[in-house]
Amino acid sequence: METAVLQVFRYDPEKDQTPYYKEYEVPVEGTLLNALLYIKDNLDPTLAFRAFCRSEVCGSCSMRVNGKTKLACKTPMKELVETWKGKPLRIDPLNHLKVIKDLVVDIDKPIEKMKTLIPWLVPDPRVVPTDPMHESIIYPEEMEAYKDQIHCMLCFSCYSACEAVEDNDRYRGPFAFSKAYRFQVDRRDIETAKEKRIRYAISGGLWSCVQCQKCLYVCPKGVKPAEDIQNLRGQAVKKGFTDKPGAKKLKHFVDWIYATGQINRLYLPEEVYGNREAREKLTKAYTEMGVEVWEVPKPTKGLMKFRDIYLEILSKEDKALDLDFSHVRKIDRMVSEIFKADICTIIDRAHEEGRSSRGLISKLKGLLGGK
Amino acid sequence: MVKVGFYQGCCFQGQDAHMFETMKEMFEKIDVEVVLLEETTCCGGNTIDEENRKLSYAINARNIALAEREGLDMLVSCNTCYMVIAKAKRALDTNKKLRDEINALLKEEGLEYRGTSRIYHLLDFFRDVVGYDRIRKAVKRPLKGWKVAAYYGCHVLYPKEIAVDNSDNPSSLQEILKALGAEVIDEYEGKDACCGYHSFFTDKSMTLKKLNRILGGVKKVGADIVATPCPLCFKSFDIYQTNMENSPKVPSSFLPEIMAYAFGIDKEKAGLAHHLIKVEKE
Repeated sequence: METAVLQVFRYDPEKDQTPYYKEYEVPVEGTLLNALLYIKDNLDPTLAFRAFCRSEVCGSCSMRVNGKTKLACKTPMKELVETWKGKPLRIDPLNHLKVIKDLVVDIDKPIEKMKTLIPWLVPDPRVVPTDPMHESIIYPEEMEAYKDQIHCMLCFSCYSACEAVEDNDRYRGPFAFSKAYRFQVDRRDIETAKEKRIRYAISGGLWSCVQCQKCLYVCPKGVKPAEDIQNLRGQAVKKGFTDKPGAKKLKHFVDWIYATGQINRLYLPEEVYGNREAREKLTKAYTEMGVEVWEVPKPTKGLMKFRDIYLEILSKEDKALDLDFSHVRKIDRMVSEIFKADICTIIDRAHEEGRSSRGLISKLKGLLGGK
Repeated sequence: MVKVGFYQGCCFQGQDAHMFETMKEMFEKIDVEVVLLEETTCCGGNTIDEENRKLSYAINARNIALAEREGLDMLVSCNTCYMVIAKAKRALDTNKKLRDEINALLKEEGLEYRGTSRIYHLLDFFRDVVGYDRIRKAVKRPLKGWKVAAYYGCHVLYPKEIAVDNSDNPSSLQEILKALGAEVIDEYEGKDACCGYHSFFTDKSMTLKKLNRILGGVKKVGADIVATPCPLCFKSFDIYQTNMENSPKVPSSFLPEIMAYAFGIDKEKAGLAHHLIKVEKE
């Protein structure tokens, strides 16, 4: 029978000065949980780990294999052996959590963090009948908005893998934001609670998420916390929480991409941090290196139709007014000012100049009489 | 000669137009013609998704449709552009209602998303289309004695649905660096950490902590340089590193740059001469 060696993290704070690893030879069959149960039954009854349902429902057997967070009952041994090509398999408890014993961790901290985001329904009396004899009906199409999030089983895989938890102790954790978002899109939840959740989410690190997508990768239930965090950010801006750098970055993206089809990295520090110097410094540095500075992206053919598509989608989603049209006009004026021509003329000429990219902007300025 | 449509995003134009030229020249050495997909726009940088996910899908349906119009597969270098576009493709290919709705809008521009073009990232394009052998054969100046730390970045490995390699234990970047003759270092602290590029404008302190971990790790194992296929990770390493208080001053390279150098293109043209943290290695 094919076997593999597991190097398992061992630590009993009552007995051991420091943690250590103990090696066990286990059969390569079934799941990682089967292997751990094999150890417990046949090799070493002192090994401590949590497991209950054995079928991806209870979420108690999450741990790390060579640093990567896995749910033991969902992870075939064969897959591990193939992935790590004969390298030893080092089994560690979840990251970012205090070890109670061996692979058993204390989950109180993330639970307490989650509670700060009001992960429960605060009923709106106008929607939810106060009379207990009446049901509060939820239609299947309403469920669509949170059908994934309700599967979270608090396995803390995402908390273990999270890049934001790693560097910001206040950060509430991916799952906590998904739990919160689930009620943000529930019709029965009262508006004042939604407002509060956003405020607490912001102080709980909403803008600290780095969008690495590791939470999507490790979630055994297909919840997408990083995407819920994006949705919460959108809600925060919509509710008027626009003072954070991240909110200003979003505005930059929404307006500039509509106006020019591109973001403008030269102006990003100024529009987000009010740092005008950054643009001046960059411009100077590029000029000294002999690199042409593009104050605006190349206006591409089809830009006007692109704008139509953009606006149509936003209108359909009832978000057309999220575009700051005065900002867009400012960008338009800036473009016209640089080239001394209107945007349509510039697009046509830029297209005639075709595939050239280096020197394009100065060439266009020359052709159109810009500075 | 293989022909592929190149999606430039924001990283290969304007001040960074030279990065496309390096890329193009490097690809010529391995018999690949990269055709710039001129009329494409920004992918939304995974930020437009905060405003509205459907808008992100529509923008990228249009981007992909422009490659399909040319009858070409699409090659993306930037990890984030790759992830955003690949996610959009998945959504469009699995949701007919969404595809029809967006196609109705694209029609105005004479475009249609059909789902016929494949989306490649540099890593799977090198592995599956070019082949490591062809890379090895194109090397004129082996990177002998270069200790190169391999750094993937997140958006080619996560989420699983769009990953171009084994997310837990990837190998394509090491294989490419090996083919260039370099000594590859793939075990160092911070190799799996996020580069912090995207948090620079949402929570700057995160960026600096991430850079500290990764570049500190690279320095500790004695690598000469860290190489990444993602232009954003590269910018984080080269540009944002200068914002660090105690910068470890670790040189970095965008993968196509050291490939170009190994293929015999000079340092200036390969783009290696203009880094803020100087690449001293010859």
